[in-house]
Amino acid sequence: MPVLPGACDDEGVSRSAEALWRAIAVFRFASLGYAALLLGVFDENRYSRPDLAWIVLGAMGSWTVVTTLAYSHRRHRTAALLSADLAVTAGLLLSTFALQLPAARHSGLVPVTGPWVAGPVLAWAVRYGRAAGAAAALALSLPTFALSGWSVSVVPNGEVLMLLAGVAVGHVAQLAAALEAERQHTDRVEAASRERERLARDIHDSVLQVLALVHRRGLEAGGAAAELGRLAGEQEAALRALIGAGPTATSADVDLSALLKPLASEWVTVGGPAGSVLVGNAEGEGVTAAVGAALDNVRRHCGPHARAWVLVEDEPEVVTVTIRDDGQGIPEGRLAQAIGAGRLGVSQSIRGRMRDLGGCAEIRSLPGEGTEVTLRLPRPPSPGRPAQEPARVRAW
Amino acid sequence: MVGEDRGATPAASGRGPAPVPEADGPRPVRVMVVDDHPMWRDAVARDLAEAGYEVAATASDGAQALRVLGAARPDVVVLDLQLPDMSGVEVTRALRATSPSVRVLVLSASGEQQDVLDAVKAGAAGYLVKSAARAEFLDAVRRTADGDAVFTPPLAALVLGEFRRLAAAPATSGADGRPAAPTLTMRETEILRMVATGLSYKQIASRLVLSHRTVQNHVQNILGKLHLHNRVELVRYAIEHGLAADPD
Repeated sequence: MPVLPGACDDEGVSRSAEALWRAIAVFRFASLGYAALLLGVFDENRYSRPDLAWIVLGAMGSWTVVTTLAYSHRRHRTAALLSADLAVTAGLLLSTFALQLPAARHSGLVPVTGPWVAGPVLAWAVRYGRAAGAAAALALSLPTFALSGWSVSVVPNGEVLMLLAGVAVGHVAQLAAALEAERQHTDRVEAASRERERLARDIHDSVLQVLALVHRRGLEAGGAAAELGRLAGEQEAALRALIGAGPTATSADVDLSALLKPLASEWVTVGGPAGSVLVGNAEGEGVTAAVGAALDNVRRHCGPHARAWVLVEDEPEVVTVTIRDDGQGIPEGRLAQAIGAGRLGVSQSIRGRMRDLGGCAEIRSLPGEGTEVTLRLPRPPSPGRPAQEPARVRAW
Repeated sequence: MVGEDRGATPAASGRGPAPVPEADGPRPVRVMVVDDHPMWRDAVARDLAEAGYEVAATASDGAQALRVLGAARPDVVVLDLQLPDMSGVEVTRALRATSPSVRVLVLSASGEQQDVLDAVKAGAAGYLVKSAARAEFLDAVRRTADGDAVFTPPLAALVLGEFRRLAAAPATSGADGRPAAPTLTMRETEILRMVATGLSYKQIASRLVLSHRTVQNHVQNILGKLHLHNRVELVRYAIEHGLAADPD
């Protein structure tokens, strides 16, 4: 059966539901046998018309066969059939009027149908859940009360048990359906990620290799070929980032390294630790935007071919991102001047963003040695993260 | 017929027109190229030969590389991380174990960071992305042959991250019998950060008022600490599992 994305209705399920339907069939036949046993043993005392009672039992047997066959096909489990099941069962229950002695009825003896009447209750519970199971049980209690002359002098044990069975089986059915849906979702995610891995492998073996070669050869050839080589390099980086990205994260945390990786290009090198650097969603977005602003600045002031390096450092208390370029650097006082003149580009985008996140930004420049922007994002102390031992001196 | 063989091709040497300007001494540097992609393998081998290196052998997978290692006796192995039969990390470890003097330069197209880090921990002397320019690549081979660590900025960032991870990881105090995590000195951390943000050794030397050689030594020491830690961890792992395993 093909697994359709999002198809979690009854078409898509389910081994567990089928098992429950089979269990109902078993119950119906077992309870039919029990009813026959009761009739055979207690015959004389209870029944005014034992012959009719056997006919009713025969009808019960036929109906059991009909419903079992019908319920074995998913498409027959319609509201109409389930209602008919309920009506026929209630009718057979009421036939007790005609064939049981009034004394037997009033003393609370079991009607000819016995526990067999619980069949449709279970069917409703499995098909439509707890509430439907309870409703079916209540509906089938009415004929029993009618049999006892609408008196509550007899403790309605059977009816209470039937109600409980309806609710419990309905609950199990819902639980099974939920688990089934979850399992199917997991299967789909797994299949998708396997497919992604396969694609990543294939692309790595073919396309990436060729792009890398074009990149390298193009740059060596110079001229128009260099432009082609540069484009190939950009596509290589983009494709690698694309196939490297995992399925969307479900947690509130995001991997800062993964967010920054797409900023890498021919001119920009992004480096960091091997694992992921988890930060909050807003923090990840803010820092990425700040790094983007810093790189924009590099392009604007140092030309499109200035090289830049982005370094992500992950420490228990703070995440640091350093952006350095090999441009000419900012002349002294130029930054303060810009802020004074109301041009807030660097200040607003970088410092403001980091301040909003509870961090800070430091911009340093040595004449002739480029500019270095350091973004610091303090980590909130978290219970999952072990506190630093004071004895261990950190590198700084 | 021989040309069609995709297998190891021991020593078609001296194809290059120019003598080796980089390699000093009478013997050219012997290089083995391990890459499953024929186009890449040939391109790299050609570049090396043109630059005067002796391409001692080429291999298309890890097993082949290990098979011809003894006959080819390379000084440097240029190794693709993604091979069909073994991981680059395993190949690095096996190459270093078989021939401790061989120096491994990892060439990777995937930028698969954990693999690169593992390869370096297993004994690789350097790492370069495949898209690096030819001059950069040849320079890296020369430096690897000279015994220098080839620390590109991304590799420096990885190594820095690894030391941070080891320092922050719990249960590395040494009290419980586990080896203490290696730590960097302040100077080493400073230098590693500078390499990771693209400064050359020369720039670092001038910033820190050190000699170029001192900076190189620091970088070598950093790599040495990582290798040593990795070896100690491997031994510990072997002992633990050796003792735990049922004797046959």
